[in-house]
Amino acid sequence: MRDAYVVGAGQSPFGSFPDATYRSLFETAFDRALDSTSGAFDPDRIDEAFLGTLGVGGRQIGLSAPAVTEHVGLHTTPTTRVENACAAGGYAFRSAVTAVQSGRADVALAGGYEVMTDTSADQTRWWLGVSGDTEYERLSGTTFAGVYAQMANAYFHEYDADPDALARVAVKNHANGAENPNAHLGFACSMADATDAPPVAEPLNRYHCCPISDGASAVLVVSADVAEEFAPVRVAGVGAASGRVGLFERDTLTSIPASAAAAERAYEQAGIDSEDVDFAEVHDCFAIAELLAYEDLGFCERGEAGILLDDGRTDPDGELPVNTSGGLKSKGHPIGATGTGQLVELFEQFQDRAHVQVDSPDIGLAHNVGGSGGGATVTVLERTDVGGA
Amino acid sequence: MRGIDAAAVSLPRYRLAGEAVEEAWGRNPHREMVVPRADEDAFTMGIAAAERLFERGIEREAIEHVALASTTPPLDEGLFAPRLGRALGLGRNVETSEHTGSTLAGAEAFSRALDADGPALVVVSDCPAGDPADGWGAGAVALLVADEAAVGVPERAWHADEYPGLRYRERGSEDVASIGVTTYERDAIRECVTGAASQLDSIGSVAHAALHQPDARMPGRIANDLPIDDEAVEHGTVVDRVGDAGAATVFLGLARALGGADADDRTLAGVFGSGGAGAAFVLDGGLDVAGLVDGEIPDGERISYTNALRKRGVLDEEEVAGGGARVSLPTWRGSLDQRYRLRAGRCPDCETVAFPPEGACPHCGSRADYEPYDLPRVGVVRARTVVGQGGAPPEFAAQQRRDGAYGVVVVGFEGIDATLPAQLTDCDPESVAIGDELRAVVRRIYEQEGIGRYGVKFVPTA
Repeated sequence: MRDAYVVGAGQSPFGSFPDATYRSLFETAFDRALDSTSGAFDPDRIDEAFLGTLGVGGRQIGLSAPAVTEHVGLHTTPTTRVENACAAGGYAFRSAVTAVQSGRADVALAGGYEVMTDTSADQTRWWLGVSGDTEYERLSGTTFAGVYAQMANAYFHEYDADPDALARVAVKNHANGAENPNAHLGFACSMADATDAPPVAEPLNRYHCCPISDGASAVLVVSADVAEEFAPVRVAGVGAASGRVGLFERDTLTSIPASAAAAERAYEQAGIDSEDVDFAEVHDCFAIAELLAYEDLGFCERGEAGILLDDGRTDPDGELPVNTSGGLKSKGHPIGATGTGQLVELFEQFQDRAHVQVDSPDIGLAHNVGGSGGGATVTVLERTDVGGA
Repeated sequence: MRGIDAAAVSLPRYRLAGEAVEEAWGRNPHREMVVPRADEDAFTMGIAAAERLFERGIEREAIEHVALASTTPPLDEGLFAPRLGRALGLGRNVETSEHTGSTLAGAEAFSRALDADGPALVVVSDCPAGDPADGWGAGAVALLVADEAAVGVPERAWHADEYPGLRYRERGSEDVASIGVTTYERDAIRECVTGAASQLDSIGSVAHAALHQPDARMPGRIANDLPIDDEAVEHGTVVDRVGDAGAATVFLGLARALGGADADDRTLAGVFGSGGAGAAFVLDGGLDVAGLVDGEIPDGERISYTNALRKRGVLDEEEVAGGGARVSLPTWRGSLDQRYRLRAGRCPDCETVAFPPEGACPHCGSRADYEPYDLPRVGVVRARTVVGQGGAPPEFAAQQRRDGAYGVVVVGFEGIDATLPAQLTDCDPESVAIGDELRAVVRRIYEQEGIGRYGVKFVPTA
């Protein structure tokens, strides 16, 4: 199997852009991805595209991905829309990597897009509840806030851990996002802000929940031959896993088994273990999700995520900075664009041009979860000697 | 003799004080009124009363007839007795009858059950609505009618004559109306009920009486025309505790009277139906009624007048966009045993219990057909949250506006792998914690395509 490399990655700003369309947002991301390569990149070289979206609002349920690639001038390029809820982007990237590894494509485009802020509150909440188990879980009265809240409740009970960890996740990620001009909620917050916000689903308050956002992202995945022309980052491993869609169907309430399985596969492909990771973007759709991610990805023992956070080890100057982009919490969460959006941050860290820069990292990890854990991907990128243009 | 062999009552949890209504409107309709929640209606209250009856050890499969009565069934057209049968796990070959259209509905259902063969289940359940100052209540009664019953019914009689204009509800309207000519109304009620009761040979030896009671004074007015004293009437009068519960009020009064009656006591039930009809039953003996506390209508939790209006939906007319979670009606129907009876499945290969009982076994991956396995109706909280404003899917937004923030739990069961997600009801969700014990009740879950969908919610046992 051939190696795959990332040579370019870009994103639109994440936020609320009522005048933008999913096509225009993607156009911004695509142009920024082309601009991010170390030399001029001819878009005609793109053999294939995989784009993630849930299709919130139902604005173009069928064939929205070809609508996007045609919009940016990739005329006749085969394009596949990928839907795995919030993990659509991670899975789109995995498909692009597979296309390059298999030899079918020398250049594959991965990306995602979502417009979420231009529909009524009721309609938006309707869409936020479409990726859990519909027949039982949703009809108990939950959207994802409720499901993650139950996980948080069970987690703090099981480990007798300090629920202030939720607010500390928000404070850390907002501090990072405040430096990121592409962030939706690009401002810092205090512990008091993050502790006293109005409840959404106990114990989660508004500061423990990511926003709904509009946005798009795009990543260029290429073969070794093409990579040599640029300054690439090597795709060391992409692990993916499915899990039971409903929380109640799983045998644990305090872990996301799909995340753990995806991480194990990614580490195995990359030939590393969790201790080798220098920095990570993790799927903090809710603050509890970042804590569970620390444990599912093997960054710490079960029940000790709060300690990792307390010790500052996931701060930008810690040994394992997490969510230097601001994460979903501050940077934003345009569902289909999130997974490849995380890879934009990874790519910029390796280019030494991130807004909150980690000191010359060798290995970066991105962790993308669909729903409450029905699907997950873990991607490991590493610095490489290939190319050097 | 055929009659009532077991009885149960069930009332919603919440109560509104008459004084609270007086503060708002200057008149006090009843001392206290029962207020149903947004997820309760005549169907769910009826299930609760019937389940209480079955808790007494009555065999579900033995029921041969179901007679259902309500002035406010959840649909204007469309049967609820078949749903009741399914929700209660009755046999599929039961004969059903439904009675509505007036407060006489309960008497019709009871009479029909007396005429039926074999054990018959009578459910009289009601929650009329109208001018909020008028003192509407709610409640349900379930009766097991059988041969050689504890309480025999030796006599019954009817009276009918046209009396238009009393207590009617126009087609398509939610609210009960009346022309409000007081003397005319009182005369109509007295004539219809006494016209029936005075035909009874044993009317002279009645010790307890449950009489038509839109207000607490009406039974006494009716009794004035009959050889019945005030004390007898008091035993069967509950409207001051439950409010006007439509067809159910007299039967709630009857349940209280029978609960306090001795084996040789004789009780009269006198029922009125607007339009102009009365029915009277003589009942011999007494029985222990499930759901009464020391023989009395149980107390509930007092709520404010505005809270009661919210629960009643008086303050909620907003339509919710989105149309609800997309679960097709055929798919929903296919899961009725899961919704009502918590039917899970046991893997024949590894004995793991899975809910819902479909797909590969979550433990061993076997694709073999599950063996039906009903989860216990008492479970334990494994995880809990309280969903506040903005956290609810749109199909629960209206309920949230009426009942406030609601709790959602993952429920587990002692010694069983399966868990299920469910909403909490009839409690302060903030007070529920992991490890607390819960029991299942059937409530209205949501509505899609205009059709109410019912299923299990949970209430703390403590």
